[in-house]
Order: sequence, then structure tokens, then C-alpha cells
Amino acid sequence: MNRSRTLAVLAALVAAALPAALSDFWIFIAIEVIAFALYAVSFNVLLGYGGMLSFGHAAFFGVGAYAGALMVRKSGFAPEAAFALAPLAAMAAAAAVAAVVGFFSVRRSGIYFGMLTFAFQMLLYTIALKATGLTGGDDGITGLKPPGALARPAVYYVFALATVGPALYVLYRLVNSPFGITLRALKANPRRVQYVGVDVRSHQLAAFVVSGAFAGLAGAVFALSSGNVFPAWLNWTASATPIVMAVLGGVSSFLGPALGAAVYVVLEVVISGRTEYWPLVMGVIILALVLLMPAGLTGLWRRRGAP
Amino acid sequence: MQSLIDTLATQFAWIQNPVVVARQALAGVSNGMLLFLIASGLSLIFGVLRIINFAHGALFMFGAFAAVTLTGLVPEGLAGFAGVLLGATAGLAVLGAAIETGLLRRIYRAPHEFQLLLTFALVFILGDAVKLIWGREDHSVSMPEALSGSTQALGVTFPTYRLFLIGAGILIALGLWALLHRTRWGIFVRAATMDRAMLGALGVNTRRLFTTVFVLGAALAGLGGALAAPVVSIGPGLHVQVIIDAFVVVVIGGMGSVGGAFVAALLVGLVNAFGILAFPGLSVVLTFALMAVVLIVRPWGLFGSPE
Repeated sequence: MNRSRTLAVLAALVAAALPAALSDFWIFIAIEVIAFALYAVSFNVLLGYGGMLSFGHAAFFGVGAYAGALMVRKSGFAPEAAFALAPLAAMAAAAAVAAVVGFFSVRRSGIYFGMLTFAFQMLLYTIALKATGLTGGDDGITGLKPPGALARPAVYYVFALATVGPALYVLYRLVNSPFGITLRALKANPRRVQYVGVDVRSHQLAAFVVSGAFAGLAGAVFALSSGNVFPAWLNWTASATPIVMAVLGGVSSFLGPALGAAVYVVLEVVISGRTEYWPLVMGVIILALVLLMPAGLTGLWRRRGAP
Repeated sequence: MQSLIDTLATQFAWIQNPVVVARQALAGVSNGMLLFLIASGLSLIFGVLRIINFAHGALFMFGAFAAVTLTGLVPEGLAGFAGVLLGATAGLAVLGAAIETGLLRRIYRAPHEFQLLLTFALVFILGDAVKLIWGREDHSVSMPEALSGSTQALGVTFPTYRLFLIGAGILIALGLWALLHRTRWGIFVRAATMDRAMLGALGVNTRRLFTTVFVLGAALAGLGGALAAPVVSIGPGLHVQVIIDAFVVVVIGGMGSVGGAFVAALLVGLVNAFGILAFPGLSVVLTFALMAVVLIVRPWGLFGSPE
């Protein structure tokens, strides 16, 4: 708890000071880090706290990204209003989809839960690919632009921080609430929790919807910054990203996955700038992580203790 | 109402044309056989090792690329083609042995997310390795002359190679059945899909069993890739779609069931073949919808057993 708080204060200080020190390109990368930090943390609410491994979390990131993009592109509201509503639309859409996917998926546990989420993700991916009228099909939605001053990276950065910061705080309060404690208990021993009188499935479903909604918010924050959404964001290879980030940072601390996201995004920028074989390098990094450093980066300085 | 009936009537006009129906059925069944070769290995590996090998599509792709290289080394004709098939199968068996003993073996006791990440890492590494070895362009393999023509059957002209694929698929399925039901090794494999711990407790060397199952799965994928080589476009993205089709087959048939994989592979092959005629552009959605229905109604698959 204390380490998480120290890490949070440190991260907030660094985050506030960043735009002054960075070029527009790196501010853009910093926005990506902020969005993916929320994505990884929301994913880890399921994995690290609830013990539920979703193979299909990219679906919610993608649904949020499309919902945000469509709000800005097609809602017909004034640009400022549409932009202000985009994060809400993203969360609502991702939560609705997560409620349906979760309803069916939480009936099974372990690897079968993962396979169900995977299957629904592929269904959503093909819909994103085929519903050309809505999603633009293979071409995606491109050329999105935030209104007015928000189009400047340094301003958008503040917007991203002001959106993701409170979202992380909400998630932090949630995992430390009675709800979050029950969730952890479910990870340790679902049967016992059931004996105490907790409705296991609806508890897991609630966690799934919350996690999906915040992943969707992350998707919208990133999409409106990058200006594009592509169906590939929902493809199965994209679902490895939050898992890598969470494991890289360490699944047993609240902000570990956020650290993992930062390292992952910066590594990707640096390495893919030097070689076209970024997937190969990433594959080797993942192998090393899995085989040599199973507790993740945060595990390097803390040896024990569950979240 | 009348116009809807008219639309459907034009949409399904092909049903009255036996030649079209027969051709699509043949294409569906022969593609189903290729799917079976990948899916049976994927299913066996999951049943025994309890790992979803996302890299299985990459092994199939390696089989196809191995056929590209080997075709250039052997004399033309049936004997040369047989050599290509054998070479690809043997090559992938060796690669499979290296992957199992070098990597997978270390993580059988690790949490699911580590197993998942490891096979994802292999997807990225093998996907880029193909680009490094064979380049980024698409390749093709010509079929041996004896199999390249067409054959008259039931009053319809069929491509001979498609008939050959069906024959080969049935032979391999029979061979697999004999291996699983008529040998001591097969008894161990079937026992392992039910209770690995008990099998180990009874003194069976499960370590070697795991290796041999993975090697068999990789060899089947390699053979499938080599058999598919003359009828697919062999490029570095081949594995991304292949693994999804195989995954759909395994989920529908039931994880761990080879017989289920056979039936489901035919089903998916036929749904794809006729879906293209009935709902052009939506055939991909059809297979995922089929999978979603199976997952909801019978989550353990048509031939699987509840956990």
C-alpha cells in the first residue's frame, strides 16, 4: 500500500513536469503511456485482483476507441460537446459490451474463461471489419482531430492526465473497498467465498464490466490522440499487449501494470525506430520476462506480499 | 415481404445447381481436412499439456515455407512431392521438440498468463523469423503434375488436388485414431487428457509423454502446411488467420477431442464454403457466430466433456 502511494506521488510529480521538458513527439508518446497505463491497470483489476485472465481485453479497448471516434465523427453535436461526451460514450459502450461478454464468460473459470473472452473478441473483431458503414472496415476511422487548442499535444496531454488520473483513483478506491477485498478473496478461494454467502458470478461480472469500461476509456483517450482507430486493435494479437504490460510491471501491485505500460511503450518507440523486427525483439523480451523475471519490475524491489 | 423472398431466392439460387453445390462441398471438405491437421494437434496439446498453443498457426506456416524451400531441392513428380511432405513434417517435429524441451517444459507449473505469454512470444518470434529467412513477399508451390489436373466424379469436374487432400486427410485421421486407440502411447495420451496427476502417480513418464505429444502436434501442423502449400498464398501473415480457424474448430469440437476436431473441421470448412455463396462477405462472421452459439449452449464443445 505504502509503496503504491509513493509510486503514485512520484508518477504524478513526473507527469506534471513532463510537457515542459519534452518535444511534441515525446509528449505524444507520453499520452500513449498515460492511455495504456489505464488500460493495463484496468486489465489487472481482473487478473491481479480477481484472478481472471481475459484473453480478449483488446475488444473493450477497441470498442471504446470506436465509440469515442464515432462520437466525434458522426454524433452531429458541436465539436466541443462531442469531444466532451466521447470519453463517456466510450465507457458506456465498452461497459455494455463487457456486460454481454462477461455474462457468458464468468460462468466458466480458469483457461475456459479466457477462451470465451477470446471467442467474443474475435466476433467483435470481425464485426469491426465487416460493418463498413459504421467502422470504415479495413481502413478504420482516420483523421480524427480534437477541437481547438486540444489539438496541440501539450494541451491534450493535460486532458489525458485529467481523465486518466481520476479514473486510476476510482479503480484504486475500488480495489481497496469491500468489493475489492471480496474480489481478492475470490482469487484465493472462490468456493469458500461462496460459502460465506457471496454471489460469485455477479461479483465477477461486476468486476469484468468495470474493467471493460475503463479499458474502453483508455481506448478513446488513445484514439483521439492518435487520430485513428483500426480494426486490428481488436485482433487477437492485440490482446497480448495488456498481459505483457501487467506481467512486465508486476501483477501484484496496483500501479505495477502502469509502470509496465510505460516501459513497454517507450521500448516499442525506441526499438521499432531502429529495426523493423520489433515483434521479434518483443518476443525475446517476453521470453526473458516469463522465464527469468516472473515477478515483474516491481517484483525486483519487493520480494513478497500480495496486492 | 415479396421482395424479401425474391432477394432470398436470388441469394440461394445456387442451391438448384448441383455442380455448384458439389464443388463448394468438395472445397469445404478439403479445406476442412487441412483445418483438421492443425486443429487436431492444437486439441491434443491442450488436452495433455493444458496449454493453448497460439504458435500452432506459426508452425503450420513454417510447414508451408519449408515446402517452398524443399520443392526447389527435390526432383519434380510424385516422389519429390512425397519427399517435400516428409521433409516438412520431420523438420517441424524437430522444431516442436526444441520448443517443448527448451521452453514450454519450464512453465507447466506457472500461472496461465505466463503460459499464454510464452506462446504469444513464439508467435511474434516465428512470425518475424519467417520474414528473415524467406523474405516478405508471397510464395507459391506448384503441385506435382499427376495431381494438378481435374477428375470427373458424379458428373462434376473436380480439381484432382482437392480430392487428394480429402484422401490424405481421411488417411491421417485414421492413422491418428489407430495411434490413440490401438497403442500403449495412445492409452497414456487419452488418460492424460482425463487426469494427468493420476497418470504420473501410476508411474508413467509424463515428461516424455508431453514432449511426444507436442512433437506430434507440431509435425501434424507441418504436414498440414506442406499439404496446403500448393493451394494457398504463402506469405508472412498466413498464421494469423490459420490459428483463428483452428481455434474455432477446437472450441466447437471440444478441447482435447481429436474426433471432435475432425467433425468440427468439416463443419467449419463447409460453413465457410457455403457461407461465401449465401452471405458473401459475412462468412467469417458465420463461423464465429457458430462458435459463440456452441460456447453458450455447450461450453465444453460438441465432443468434449465438462471440466
